[in-house]
Amino acid sequence: MSEALIDLWQNLSPLSQDILWLAMLLLPAVATGLIVTWGFRPGALAGALLWRFRWTNLTFIALIAISIGIGVGLIAQERGLRKGTARAAEKFDLIVAAPGSEITMMFAAVYLQPSDVPLLDGDIYTEIATHADVDLAAPIAFGDSYLSSPVVGTTPQFVTHLAGELDEGRMFTASGEAVAGSRVELQIGETFEPAHGVGDSAEEEAHAGHAVKIVGRMPPTGSPWDRAILVPVESVWEVHGLTNGHSPEHKTRIGPPFDADYFPGTPAILVHANELWANYALRSEFTRDDTMAFFPGAVLAQLHSLMGDIRQIMSVMAVLTQVLVTAGVLTGLIALARLFARRLALLRALGAPGRFVFAVVWSYAATLIVLGAAAGLGAGWIAVDVISSIVTSRTDILVTATLDWPEFHLIAGFVSLTVLLALLPAFMAMSRNIITDLRA
Amino acid sequence: MSLPLHVSDLQVSTPGGRVLLTCSLFQAGPGETIGLRGPSGAGKSTFLYALAGLHPAMTGHIRWGDTDLVQLTDGARAAFRRNHIGLIFQDFLLFEELSALGNAALATSFNPASKRRLIVNTAERFLKSLNVPADARTVDSFSGGERQRTAIARALAHDPAIILADEPTASLDRKTADGLIEDLIGLTRAQNKTLVAVSHDPHLLERMDRVIDVEDGRLQTEAAGV
Repeated sequence: MSEALIDLWQNLSPLSQDILWLAMLLLPAVATGLIVTWGFRPGALAGALLWRFRWTNLTFIALIAISIGIGVGLIAQERGLRKGTARAAEKFDLIVAAPGSEITMMFAAVYLQPSDVPLLDGDIYTEIATHADVDLAAPIAFGDSYLSSPVVGTTPQFVTHLAGELDEGRMFTASGEAVAGSRVELQIGETFEPAHGVGDSAEEEAHAGHAVKIVGRMPPTGSPWDRAILVPVESVWEVHGLTNGHSPEHKTRIGPPFDADYFPGTPAILVHANELWANYALRSEFTRDDTMAFFPGAVLAQLHSLMGDIRQIMSVMAVLTQVLVTAGVLTGLIALARLFARRLALLRALGAPGRFVFAVVWSYAATLIVLGAAAGLGAGWIAVDVISSIVTSRTDILVTATLDWPEFHLIAGFVSLTVLLALLPAFMAMSRNIITDLRA
Repeated sequence: MSLPLHVSDLQVSTPGGRVLLTCSLFQAGPGETIGLRGPSGAGKSTFLYALAGLHPAMTGHIRWGDTDLVQLTDGARAAFRRNHIGLIFQDFLLFEELSALGNAALATSFNPASKRRLIVNTAERFLKSLNVPADARTVDSFSGGERQRTAIARALAHDPAIILADEPTASLDRKTADGLIEDLIGLTRAQNKTLVAVSHDPHLLERMDRVIDVEDGRLQTEAAGV
């Protein structure tokens, strides 16, 4: 029976599963509502209580909304960041670098957070570039910068691999030319002098006299490369006073083939295999004493699985915070219930069953919770937008987080849990002494 | 439906056990109007609330017809009130956020669907006969007289056999109170309902069939009118 159910469940589309989950999570709330209000019409009186204490009620709703908004906003954000980092790493199938930390190299080569790393020499580059399974082997030479933009030396083939057709201008064809990322403020035709290093430690004057001209602009990629300026790798070598990867006869050439004897070294090589399976063979082949080969996607997946644990903790903490806020609100309701205790006593005196008074107070509290949750959904939407724009501008990784089923499920679970908690003030209101309250 | 009242050996206590009121024997016929008077704190309202079955700690018997309220559970007493008793309070106790009809037909919220139409119709009829504004205004804009008339319509809307009123004119000016007395007595007599009213108002008491003095937690003398 249970296996049949599992089969049935797994045969459903993801959308159907999400909708069913939502329904199941809301079921306790709906069932409680039906059971509590069965046979009664508490709406008008609950509405009267809501209106009578409207400012206090609005405060309660706002408190619930803000706690839910922040909770779901953060969870949606975490998912958005994961998708954003994965999208930014999409084009980086396989990276070959000198042995060291995969994470450090991934941050440097994929997310352009450079570190000092050893270089791979020309022989290794040639070995990779000429491998039968390799479609594209591009040096990625980072370490220079212009203002907040990393200046990365590479090949025209890599630019096309990364961004496709250029949005404006043309590909660099000579040393001293550059293609700008979509968010670089330099216009086509403008020139700049790269600094050695990045950030506060950059040496502004180190490459003085090596003016570089912007000749093209890439379309947006949603990655830190949108802020980068891509130059021929030959240009990077030249400004550092090194040979430019080509023999003197071909010294004006831009891009491969490079001559191993004139190849000064590169911190990383992006490898794109001609077949998917070949990536695995290449990774095995270049995982050896003098080289390290890794899939940025796999490293990212490891990081994400670590973050997955944190996400679960975050989800639990978010629900817990929301429940605590609601418990606070319900405690406030118990205090508020004293203010309308006389009206409730009147209902009892007129012959209303205790269960009716229970239903009125519960409906009142449940309305606050449901309105708070609905407003929280709106607050979450705004929070996600605000946090996304902050994260995007801080990391240059395009984060387009939106509220999705997990957040709807979270809110549904919250509503079900707290409307059950709302039974408590309802019970307390029902158990009061009628005569004492009538004479109050 | 008319319900004779027979109270015997009644003792009403606080939940802590302190005796608030005793009554060895009290009877009222269906359709009688009875006033309860006495100094503050003498036990008049306690007796009235006991007749409504609102006191949790009672011994003895309060029989309305065949029903002994003392023997009933809270839920059964509430059901009895729902079906047979209309209550009127000194300070009206209306829901300020509802209209006159919303208040007068309040019982529709907790009565079965089968009774709701009748309650609304009866409430409308009484509001009209009591000249209460029937628009959608909430009662917080009403005068004291209009509010108490709304409360009377609420007490009568479910067509109870018994009306219990606690100082119904105490919050009203003389002229309004006199008008209200006419309405209350007129309606209860016309509908042949039993009326028991706690009051200090001689104008109300003189219209009653009988007036009972309550002192020190005991029902004292009985007088046919004042």
